[in-house]
Amino acid sequence: MPLHENGEKQESGSKPSTPEKRQCWVVLVLRVLALCATVSATVVMALNKETKTIVLATIGTTPIKATLNAKFQYTKAFVFFVIAYGIGSIHNLLVLVATLFPHKFDFKGLRLLLITITDMMTVALLAAAAGAAASMAELGMNGNKHARWSKICDRFDTFCDHGTGALIASFVAVILLMILNVLSIITLSRKPTFQTIVP
Amino acid sequence: MGKNRKTVLYALRFIAFAGTLSAVIVMVTSKEENYFYGVELEAKYTHSPALTYFVIANSIGAVYGFLLLFLPPASMLWRFVVAVDVVVVLLLSSSFSAAMAIAYVGKEGNYYAGWLPVCDQISDFCHHVTGALTAAFVALVIYTELLCTLL
Repeated sequence: MPLHENGEKQESGSKPSTPEKRQCWVVLVLRVLALCATVSATVVMALNKETKTIVLATIGTTPIKATLNAKFQYTKAFVFFVIAYGIGSIHNLLVLVATLFPHKFDFKGLRLLLITITDMMTVALLAAAAGAAASMAELGMNGNKHARWSKICDRFDTFCDHGTGALIASFVAVILLMILNVLSIITLSRKPTFQTIVP
Repeated sequence: MGKNRKTVLYALRFIAFAGTLSAVIVMVTSKEENYFYGVELEAKYTHSPALTYFVIANSIGAVYGFLLLFLPPASMLWRFVVAVDVVVVLLLSSSFSAAMAIAYVGKEGNYYAGWLPVCDQISDFCHHVTGALTAAFVALVIYTELLCTLL
């Protein structure tokens, strides 16, 4: 019985020491923040819609109205944005679950390597989506007088405000994900071999 | 086997550097003047901020690739190359997709925003931009694949 107790005490004594525990908490908090940022970017852009009714002319007393819509589906870049940040949210959620329950998701000691590689791919995808949406948003805000493209943000201000919010969340998500990726790379480079990975 | 691998990696890095450099050169030399029904249309890459960002980001990628070609293989800086490579891939991919978004609107237009396609009038400029985008895409794919081999 004392042997059994000693065995259990040794297992519970293998918890990470103080600096590693601090790094675990930092990575966890950053991952939760990145998840919130990607989810909010996806949701805000996906629900981005504005309808405006303008009066074209008045015949007698009846006004002729035209309904103008602004939806995110009308621009291919925003569709790409929503899909990419959806994929980013799923990735963040899966990695969060994998870091919260490390003993169930061990992958033969390759968990940190897998997380780093998929993080790299996700961060490149999210950066591309953010760049495309930002360029279309800049075009909608300022127009392009050389190509005779007029701006639309003076007519659809709610649509533009929501788009701005989604873009800010997306930039925050890319920065956080990049910091997380660099932290994972630093942790990986400190391990002597890949077989002894315990984040 | 190790030497073959290193040679292949260096060759890939050189091709990626050449891709970013040619993207910059092709985009910067893409200028067209056209007279369309008496109205003068001039197309330059500086007329669109997304194409300017494309040139700047690919110049940074080209300078980075050029510096990496002269880094000695036994240097300690190769440990930083992994992290800086991620940042460079981010830059290149975001600039490529921003320029691609503008190029798509220029080619197909956006019916709902009232933006007409302009590539019919400035087809030479559009071909130049297509060539620059293709070179940048090749460089981007090679850099992304090099990321995985560094780990």
